Amino acid sequence: MSRTAKKRQGYWRRILGQTFVRWGARLGLFWVAILALVGVFAPFLASSFPLLLSHEGEVSSPVLNYLQPVDVLFLVGFITLLLLSPWRITLLRKFLIMISVLAVAALFAYLWVKPQQLVIYEQYRVADAAGKYDWVVYAPIPYSPKDYQRDRGDTGLEAPLSQQSRAHWFGTEQNGADVLSRMIHASRIALGIGFVATGIAMLLGIVIGGLMGYFSGAVDILGMRLVEIFEAVPTLFLLLTFVAFFGRSLYIMMVIIGITSWPGYARYVRAEFLRLRKQDFVQAVEAAGLPLPSILFRHMLPNGMGPVLVAASFGVASAILAEATLSFLGLGLVDDPSWGEMLNQAVQSSRFNWWMAAFPGGAIFFTVFAYNLIGESLRDAIDPYLSKSG
Amino acid sequence: MLLSVKKLHTWFQHQGRTIKAVDEVSFEIARGETFCLVGESGSGKSITALSIMQLLPKSNLQRHAGEILFHAQGEVPADLAGLSEIEMQQVRGGRIAMIFQEPMSSLNPVFTIGEQILEAVRLHFPELSEGEAWQRVMESLEAVQLPDPQTRVHSYPHQLSGGQRQRVMIAMAMACEPDLLIADEPTTALDVTVQREILRLMKTLQQRTEMAILFITHDFGVVSRIADRVGVMQRGKLVETGVTEQIIHRPGHSYTQSLISALPENLARNQPHEQRGDQVPLIKLSQLEIHFPVRKGLLRRVVDQVRAVDGVDLEIPRGEILALVGESGSGKTTLGRGILRLTEPTAGRVAFDDTDITEMNRSQLRRFRRHMQIIFQDPISSLNPRLSIAAILTEPMKVHGIGENQEARLAMARDLLGQVQMEEDALWRYPHEFSGGQRQRIGIARALSLAPSFIVCDEITSALDVSVQAEILRMLLDLRAKHGLTLLFITHNIGVVEYVSDRTAVMYQGRIVEQGKTEDIVNRPNNRYTQQLIAAVPRVPV
Repeated sequence: MSRTAKKRQGYWRRILGQTFVRWGARLGLFWVAILALVGVFAPFLASSFPLLLSHEGEVSSPVLNYLQPVDVLFLVGFITLLLLSPWRITLLRKFLIMISVLAVAALFAYLWVKPQQLVIYEQYRVADAAGKYDWVVYAPIPYSPKDYQRDRGDTGLEAPLSQQSRAHWFGTEQNGADVLSRMIHASRIALGIGFVATGIAMLLGIVIGGLMGYFSGAVDILGMRLVEIFEAVPTLFLLLTFVAFFGRSLYIMMVIIGITSWPGYARYVRAEFLRLRKQDFVQAVEAAGLPLPSILFRHMLPNGMGPVLVAASFGVASAILAEATLSFLGLGLVDDPSWGEMLNQAVQSSRFNWWMAAFPGGAIFFTVFAYNLIGESLRDAIDPYLSKSG
Repeated sequence: MLLSVKKLHTWFQHQGRTIKAVDEVSFEIARGETFCLVGESGSGKSITALSIMQLLPKSNLQRHAGEILFHAQGEVPADLAGLSEIEMQQVRGGRIAMIFQEPMSSLNPVFTIGEQILEAVRLHFPELSEGEAWQRVMESLEAVQLPDPQTRVHSYPHQLSGGQRQRVMIAMAMACEPDLLIADEPTTALDVTVQREILRLMKTLQQRTEMAILFITHDFGVVSRIADRVGVMQRGKLVETGVTEQIIHRPGHSYTQSLISALPENLARNQPHEQRGDQVPLIKLSQLEIHFPVRKGLLRRVVDQVRAVDGVDLEIPRGEILALVGESGSGKTTLGRGILRLTEPTAGRVAFDDTDITEMNRSQLRRFRRHMQIIFQDPISSLNPRLSIAAILTEPMKVHGIGENQEARLAMARDLLGQVQMEEDALWRYPHEFSGGQRQRIGIARALSLAPSFIVCDEITSALDVSVQAEILRMLLDLRAKHGLTLLFITHNIGVVEYVSDRTAVMYQGRIVEQGKTEDIVNRPNNRYTQQLIAAVPRVPV
């Protein structure tokens, strides 16, 4: 029974199965899954606003009033993913549904979700201390990332668990904001920049590389020159220039990392298409008179995706590093926390505060490591010479 | 006895299952004798050879038992299975040499052939001086009749042809004067004329040096040319051993009988197709040329043309099977693809039922393609590994508007699978779940899915075992009769040509040198090249 069930699985299910048989990839996936969960539920995990409170018999959830459109988008994405996962359709179709749901959700979120403009973090704490509420449920980390409590002690700085009341598990930075809370919210940036930048790069790379590989000849020669030009552009300096001219924006960063890293993917796709074009099964569909888009995208592309996906998982890691580098140099986002920016804060302080370097640094390390593990396993699973042996 | 193998077991562990690759195999080889191991793919021939050499992968080896007594000249007999790795290294190359099927990948591309042979010589005869060792290298190259050995010794492997590389491999093996030469399908990748020379060379060398040969092959024609005694293997077991003559003519074991009777030479002859003279030929090629430009330099200027197909005139009457034979590089595959315009012809005309295909534009051609199909040689690469069989079969139908809806098309696909003698549930499986023969059946079903009138069969059985080949050929002939197909059957196997085709065209260097009734070509060839080719084909005496 299980044998026949196993026989029916398609190629990608088989490859993914082989990939995640390896413990390294499982570990990597586990870490990324944790990051994703933490990222999606960040406003409920770390927030100065109570999750639930009862005021004069009336139950309300203040945290909902402060949800940003982005938070809503993340939640919608997560719920869609949950709903899709038991559905037996191809991965590609799932992916397309996911993208379209997200696009619609983005539109509505930005039109309708209006978070409260005036944010006073102390409001609920003060009211709670004054005993105004019947009962209050706080988030596990009851501090928002930008809940600066400079005036609490001599400085804002506080080592992990140094105080009994109002404990900060990972300490605070010099403005008195909770490090763990900032890290939780920053995990979104790490994930987002990795996926979006790599997505842009892959899309460009596949289209350009595919055209070069299929048509070869003059298209190929022109395409390869374009690839060489883009490969000659140093990403980091371009990013620095753009940040200097257009200010600091996460989206610009994503786009720039995306459009400077597509040549790698284009090379892979081109090489694969050159190889596949002469394969018998491609010749067979050509002999059957199938239209060009079907030959390219249905028959050739899925067979050439292997190396691209491997490159992509390493690409996600390097995009995360690029953002961390920029933020570390102090050119990242102004106000929103990111792991690289937190590292920057650690070195700027007059004293070396280990908790400000170790935790965000560790997070960057483990995330990049996780993607590399996944990439490595994927490469082994796709390699036909390795796939049979243990 | 030089080598006596007693109860050899080589079992592997694979995904929790035990695979008995070699199971209780016993045989003996005398000095100066050629012993052939024959069997279909996966029967354990090569693993037997590797077991003798102790070259098995250690990682998933489950059981390796039995005695391999090797009695080298002037030494006491030793059990190779009991030798240490260091002692074994002395035996390997020195006393037992091995040559492989693929001469390109068994030579190191970054060293000259002289250096590679020299290394082997110095390893086994450390007492020789530089000059003497080099002398020996030259002698061995002369012994294998490599033309112009003085200059060739400094060539790199890629500068030699396949046959020359195999000669170098033999020279390397012979340089250390082994007592036993293990040859694992040494001529399978070579053309028949080259194969004949290599086989002849091995015979001559054997007579001169009293060396024994363990020859592994799947080709009974080769067996009948070279073997003194034959062992037939089936699924890890040696089912029968005996003198060549006896095995081929009076096989005792039922498996050997089935193998011998599956040889195309022994299949019942096909009824010659009666020709009606008044018909317009279905396919008519006039002065077809397919040239590939050779580009060099910075500006990619065309410096030369490879004339793969160089002015071919050919007619294939409706309902006929035309065999196209020739050696590798003769342009037969290019011609087949050129007829379908999978490779664009440079000049000339291809007429299909009086319609000129070469003048069609892309979209006209796309619609026209349903009349002409192709079946490929390699059953592995000819099916898209990402699509189910249902998708592979129904997608072309959909594009050409065959069948009203997906349900109707699936019903037709089921019918097609029935015609190629496959189960219906194959529809929902993926190509990797099938064996080579089954994939080839699916390939045929795919070609038939558009109900074409003309099919190019490009070496469709050369990757298959003889018994599977016999089934596929028989089935193809039935389908031809049922659908009135016209076939261009490209092959290098003369036995298959005789069995399957009505007429034969012989191709050499891009041109058709001779064509006519198959019987005439095979038995009374006129052209000098055809005569050479036919004479070189190793055939089982009937």
